[in-house]
Amino acid sequence: MTERVEVRQNVLKENDRIAAGLREEFARRGILCLNLISSPGAGKTSILEGTLQAFRDSGRHAAVLTGDIQTERDADRLRRYGFPALQITTGGTCHLDASMVSRALSGLPLDGLDVLFLENVGNLVCPASYDLGEELKVVVLSVAEGDDKPLKYPGIFRRARVMLLHKVDLLPYTRFDPAAALADARRVNPDIEVIETSCLGKPGLQQWMDWVEARLEEKRQLHR
Amino acid sequence: MHELSVAQSIVDSMREQVALHGGRRVLRVGVRVGETSGVNAEALEFCFGMTVHDTEFSGAALELERVPVRFRCEGCGHEFAPVDFFAGCPACEAGHGRMVAGDELALSGLELEEGP
Repeated sequence: MTERVEVRQNVLKENDRIAAGLREEFARRGILCLNLISSPGAGKTSILEGTLQAFRDSGRHAAVLTGDIQTERDADRLRRYGFPALQITTGGTCHLDASMVSRALSGLPLDGLDVLFLENVGNLVCPASYDLGEELKVVVLSVAEGDDKPLKYPGIFRRARVMLLHKVDLLPYTRFDPAAALADARRVNPDIEVIETSCLGKPGLQQWMDWVEARLEEKRQLHR
Repeated sequence: MHELSVAQSIVDSMREQVALHGGRRVLRVGVRVGETSGVNAEALEFCFGMTVHDTEFSGAALELERVPVRFRCEGCGHEFAPVDFFAGCPACEAGHGRMVAGDELALSGLELEEGP
């Protein structure tokens, strides 16, 4: 004889528990936490460099936790802007999880912080499944990739609040169809917002910076 | 690509449940795997076998239920299986579908040996 026991719980519930704790801490401190996800080479680190440069000019306070399989290179690049940046080397793991973020946070000064950026491991698949306690997910799709990525990797496009269509200054040299990419992203996620960005040419990052400012303003209103 | 850590999480949950149910032997564990959960069923089966090898769960069967993507129309409430995530409702042809199933990764149940 056997007995069937019903269990309804997420397989990753331990991750979800730690992420909920992080989310609470970010809320208590009024920190906007953004989880940046893309394939390798889409431009997450360059976008963060531009963002930190702009923050330095506007007096905002930011910090970055950046995940990679190996090397300290991204953190080295990001520290040049005068904000704390810590590298999480996952040693082979294809995504950041909440416990990695929690451990790394102990090395970051959180007082007075406006925005914490979590730069995930370059991968459009696994990072989508792991809640890091962020307020929202940002997916970066560069025009040097295929415009069919949203349908090929629907999980992340479905969970992201905003898509940065990046390196649009390269559009004349690619066959990337922005309208098709946008339509596909909206098929998977009707509410996704889209911002066109580039680091080397026009339109630059201003619209993205405005978007981040708008999220900070929303947070400030909520905290009143 | 992270099926080994998923398998370990499943085994952690099994251990918890077994403690709640008087330490009985687990014969089967059921897991619902959504089509867009990012988990590969074959790899998960392989990793689960490795994880339970030579443990108290050795011999426990992993039963995966694959959950296809389903949309529900925001207009008329009709549920449908979309082709390539096309969200237009096939029933009312006006509404827009939202995903209601297909990204889950969840334990559904355990089959335990009957207690003494």
